[in-house]
Amino acid sequence: MKRFFIIFIALILTLSIGIVPAFAKKKLVVYTSLETDEAIEYMKIAKKDLPDIDIKWIRLSTGELGARMLAERNNPQADCIWGWAVTNMEQFIPKGLLVPYKPKGLERIPARFKDPKGYWVAIDLYAAAFVINTKELAKRKLPMPHSWADLTKPVYKGLVIMPNPASSGTGYLQVSSILQMFGAKEGKEDGWEFLKKLDKNIGQYIKSGSKPAKLTAAGEYVIGCSFAFVYSQLKKRGFPVALQFPAEGAGYELEANALLKGAKHPKEAKRFLDWAISDNAMRAYSKFKLGVTLPGIPGPKDLPPLSSIKLYPMDFKWSAAHRDQILEKWQKLFLK
Amino acid sequence: MANKSESFAVSTTPPTGIISDRQIVILVSLLIGFILFFFMLFPLYSILKMSFLKNGHFSLASYYKYFRTPRIARSLHHSFYVAIISMIVTTILAFFFAYALTRTTIKGKNIFYTIIMMPLISPPIIQALALILLFGRNGLITAHLLKTDWSIYGAWGIIISEIFYCLPHALVILYTTLSAVDTRIDEAAESLGANAFQVFWKVTVPSAKYGLVSAAALVFNLTITDFGNPIVIGGNYNVLATEIYSQVIGLQKFDMGATISVILLIPSVAAFLVNYYISKKSFSLISGQARPFLRPSRMWKKIGFTGYCILISACIILIYVTVVFGSFVKVWPYDWRLSFTHYNFPSIGGYASLWTSFWIAIVVGIIGASLTLVSGYIVEKAKPKGSQLLYLLSVMPAAIPGTVMGLGYILAFNRPYYIFYGTPWIIIINVVICNYTLGMLSSITNLKQIDKSMEEAATSLGASIITTFTRVVFPLSKVAFMQTFIYYFMRSMVTISAVIFLVSATVHLAAIEIIYLDMDGRMGSANAMATVIMVIVLSFLGVVRFIGKKKFSSPQMQQSSV
Repeated sequence: MKRFFIIFIALILTLSIGIVPAFAKKKLVVYTSLETDEAIEYMKIAKKDLPDIDIKWIRLSTGELGARMLAERNNPQADCIWGWAVTNMEQFIPKGLLVPYKPKGLERIPARFKDPKGYWVAIDLYAAAFVINTKELAKRKLPMPHSWADLTKPVYKGLVIMPNPASSGTGYLQVSSILQMFGAKEGKEDGWEFLKKLDKNIGQYIKSGSKPAKLTAAGEYVIGCSFAFVYSQLKKRGFPVALQFPAEGAGYELEANALLKGAKHPKEAKRFLDWAISDNAMRAYSKFKLGVTLPGIPGPKDLPPLSSIKLYPMDFKWSAAHRDQILEKWQKLFLK
Repeated sequence: MANKSESFAVSTTPPTGIISDRQIVILVSLLIGFILFFFMLFPLYSILKMSFLKNGHFSLASYYKYFRTPRIARSLHHSFYVAIISMIVTTILAFFFAYALTRTTIKGKNIFYTIIMMPLISPPIIQALALILLFGRNGLITAHLLKTDWSIYGAWGIIISEIFYCLPHALVILYTTLSAVDTRIDEAAESLGANAFQVFWKVTVPSAKYGLVSAAALVFNLTITDFGNPIVIGGNYNVLATEIYSQVIGLQKFDMGATISVILLIPSVAAFLVNYYISKKSFSLISGQARPFLRPSRMWKKIGFTGYCILISACIILIYVTVVFGSFVKVWPYDWRLSFTHYNFPSIGGYASLWTSFWIAIVVGIIGASLTLVSGYIVEKAKPKGSQLLYLLSVMPAAIPGTVMGLGYILAFNRPYYIFYGTPWIIIINVVICNYTLGMLSSITNLKQIDKSMEEAATSLGASIITTFTRVVFPLSKVAFMQTFIYYFMRSMVTISAVIFLVSATVHLAAIEIIYLDMDGRMGSANAMATVIMVIVLSFLGVVRFIGKKKFSSPQMQQSSV
């Protein structure tokens, strides 16, 4: 009996060792909205470049990440944010959840890709794009869509899938770019009328920005409103997919890094943020991203060069300032 | 809070007897009471507070907003719709299955029983995963064999998933009921001239009425609180449990999440109370009477029921085959070549999350089994004053939906001074508490079988209560301890609903990775993760069985299901 108890206690103790965080290494907690696939690759390099830091991280969709930061504002669990939509970042500065930090090498990043006060610095740009399942398209004998306007045609009824802008940064940039195109900044309502027409063809609004592309690839839908980099991932994995940028001009978003207020490991966080705009990191991003913010690094081979894509000139400040209002109206109209 | 524990202390003042032993019992009961109080009632209180308080004042504003927002309010209707249909269908299916296993002389009863129990050891979303592969918008059957645009996303997807998820739970209850009822009444009716249908409707069904109600209530409770299947297969069809998640995790509306939690608590507690009340009644009906010999069934009856059991078993096997096969297919349903690529988990946790889940499950098993054994001992044997309160606290967790408990933990414990927040410990505590009811009930069942004279002998020989417990009670409960341990281990490996609120950058759990992989559109890898979890649970059961030389087998465990 005694022996049983000793084994029992020994077992608990051994297992507890696994639970006690590794004290040998300095810990760092990072939240990111970068896609899991790419972030795993970047992290491999980060762990090589910062061998003495034990980096713990979690991937959350753009909306979820904001939600978690707010939830934890009294007891922040993360030290820094890595690759999060600038539109959301802008909203969080007045909330007092971020502290300015100017990482090493910041001078190399062009001014339009960083906050003048140093609250955030962008690492890349991603643009809205349609991912089309060519097999399903051919099977239904449908024409290839080229623009947002094409997507409102009745032939695509129920075959288009779009991210929910409330939880997905991609979704919000799509909605925001459409509204801006139709003159929402001048107070026009035409953008909403267009979204209502588009809504008739949408099969499902989904939480993440990459899932529309992935479900399309799997043949669940025919056209996924998503972004470019998922496409190249899916193509590599052997799915029958094609890529189209909206002819009206592709809305885009910057993904940026920031230091969190109340970070428990500020020293490590700053080192990580320095790393996150280093040459090594930028080169790694460029294997996936449509464009990185450090000049002189070419984009991925399987995507068209950034210069060839018609981007819609986004107004991030407007996007950020009207986000809550737009989302509320959007949810009222389209979430049934 | 201070108030309540005080009254608890007062009510447990020892009258007479060996002071030290009494004191130990009281101290231990207080400790367990405190644990349940702090980790179950306090989070619940935090939810109630969040839903009723606006700027420090009592207000129904959140409830008003709930019913005024059509999309959110619809989740209540959706939940009831799904739960009621699943309840009816599951209870009927399980009843006939149980009938076949207890009242007919068909062959292969053991195999049928084992197959239908399989969902108990697998992640509770496996049904939804399989249904999407087969009947999704690009499912093998819907899009490729039938060439239809119809897909299973939505209410029917949830209902079918829930039916297969709940079948074993309902079956256990009905199996117990039907094998306990005296079959000689049926025979008497028959010899009085009633035909087979009359016997069935007028005698068999009424005699199993408590079991039927109890099974129905349990299925209703399980379905209305389930999170995994609706989140995977629900599509735009929101139910209460998933709406809590989207309000809190997606939109940061904690007050709305709390409000929906309270709304979800009402039907779930009601179903629990029905089940609790009925099962108490029905167990009093079960007597230790000799079970009469089962007469060989007629040919048509045997064929019919064998066919029925084969059909249900085939559906369950199909679910598992689909998921395991789906984890090996390169690109479902375009490229049928087999490969291991999906086992290269493209998720943050990856294989490390399996290891984390495994040792968390072991720790949960040890702590859960010890704690429930001690509380079982206190309630069943030591019986200090106020032990009824402890009993009540111990059975309460089964009434609380996992998502509600998870949200409660965030609201209650996300403060700098709760150092366990954001560590694996909060998950361990949560899983132990969420599954406390069953662990506790099985400990009690087992302790009832220990003859009181054994302890009396020990006490009269001068043994203290600690010695009695460690030298007499514990050794005699080893089997029960192992069973509770296995129960906790299995639950911990596959649970999703509560812990999805508690995983963090530092703790990644395998069962949660399935959800994340699925949300990420990585169906193949989601299937692969589910497969690995099942392999781990099965091998662990195998190892334990081997070590225990079949002494620690688990069917007993399943029998004691609430």
